[in-house]
Amino acid sequence: MQNFLSRMKKALTGSPDTPLVFLGNFEVEDQWARGEPGLPRTSFSAGAAIVNRMDEFALLLAGEGDHVVLKEAPDDDHLAHLEELGIALPEILTAARNDPGATVTRDALADPGLLRTLSGLAGAGALLSPHGTSEAEEELSAAARLPLVTPSAAVCKAVNSKIYSRRLADETGIRQATGWTAGTLAELADAVAAARSLLAAGRSVVAKDAFGVSGKGITVIDDERRLDRLHEMILRRARKSGDQRAALLVEEWVAKKADLNYQFTVYRDGSSHFDFVKEAITEGGVHKGHRIPADLTPAQVAELEETSRTLAKRLAADGFWGVVGVDAMVDPDDRLYPVIEINARNNMSTYQVRMQELFMAPGQVALARQYPLRLARRLPYARLRAALDDLLLAGPGGAGLLVNNFATVNAGAGDGPFDGRLYGLLLAPDRAALAALDREIAGRLHAETDRRPS
Amino acid sequence: MSETQVIDRGTIVIAISAALADVLKREADQIAEGTRLFDDLGLDSTSVLELLMRIEDDLGVEFDTDTLEQRHFETVGTLADYVAEQA
Repeated sequence: MQNFLSRMKKALTGSPDTPLVFLGNFEVEDQWARGEPGLPRTSFSAGAAIVNRMDEFALLLAGEGDHVVLKEAPDDDHLAHLEELGIALPEILTAARNDPGATVTRDALADPGLLRTLSGLAGAGALLSPHGTSEAEEELSAAARLPLVTPSAAVCKAVNSKIYSRRLADETGIRQATGWTAGTLAELADAVAAARSLLAAGRSVVAKDAFGVSGKGITVIDDERRLDRLHEMILRRARKSGDQRAALLVEEWVAKKADLNYQFTVYRDGSSHFDFVKEAITEGGVHKGHRIPADLTPAQVAELEETSRTLAKRLAADGFWGVVGVDAMVDPDDRLYPVIEINARNNMSTYQVRMQELFMAPGQVALARQYPLRLARRLPYARLRAALDDLLLAGPGGAGLLVNNFATVNAGAGDGPFDGRLYGLLLAPDRAALAALDREIAGRLHAETDRRPS
Repeated sequence: MSETQVIDRGTIVIAISAALADVLKREADQIAEGTRLFDDLGLDSTSVLELLMRIEDDLGVEFDTDTLEQRHFETVGTLADYVAEQA
């Protein structure tokens, strides 16, 4: 069976062997959102240092013969451990300077030596494969004369708008919550008027930023007074800027039993391949991890596959090709909402696929999650390895944790205590064993991170 | 904004604390002027808009969100300073 990476390369480049240069520019939505009049937002960079180091996920998506561009070299002991596990790693290229506040794309652009190296790879037929393509990645592609494997930033941005998702679902008859798109202030006024009747009937609505990062840029509204307040804030901003556009959606809030994330790849000829569906674990709307496999009936999976084919045709017609992740949900009556939003870019779960293929045996279950850490000082991988020891994955078919991003652990290190995140993929023979493993890891990490600096 | 020019700082701090307690489902008496919004209360970017709407409603102020910066959200006190400036 062809693996995901080879299949993806063949679909997008015509050959399963095309060398790719991976770039983990997570939260590319922030770039797409620039200048877009969505929800009133504040210029925060809380957690930006950690998000920017999510670039290291690309290390385990790329294969032998590929390259990955990172903000900083991985921990040597982590790399050695991955090699011990038999993972064929790509060539690692690092930017000369890791600016914690900058994306990997910006760090790469600031390094003339790296740009020259990338140009050299272009000569060998390599293509640039970002997490998602914005103008910044186009800039890098141009500066390094390394062509992108993706469509243009304009196309990628357009199909990543939640307004696009909603209209596409409307036009193709895909079930979704009652709602309204607002591309202009006039449409927003109509949406507010329509939402008012839902609120009056005792329902809640959500206002969404068309270019918000998944789970962020969303606000739940329970009463008309708050709806009017939000509307007024947006109109106030528009009066100041003179911009008559809006980039918002207003939808009825629907209760859910489970969040889903499925992925398919749109081929350049308009056909598509359904890659997988996972259950997304969210907390307060923010993504925390994935459960594999998702707890769905065969009929529900079939409906998602059918939906993916419908979406792929439209995306291809609109000039898109490549990896697409879709957020979906199941309501308390087991009804499927197959499209909450389309993310026409790599997704968190994309970066787990290669490890699942390498290590997950038939019948095993998996959990991909993050463990929040509070550290007094930098935590080296060797110390983490010693602390988790018997809980770490030892090989294919085994049970344990595989650390699939270690850079986010120490990304926030500075003066004094800092927050970090440990990302890992947990494998176990069944759900009970998986839950026990998860608890044990959390407990050991807690003991480790609670320790005072020695 | 005109009627808000006389809001005293103590009132602002109390209103912000109440809004934070409501938005983040915390006890108001655990929140003081020195409480850090992100580190101590776990405020996130998703909750900020809700917090701002709530403060606008309660104090009758109007924010210019373009002028809000992360430093204004360090503590209850820094946010109170910002609200006082806007009022």
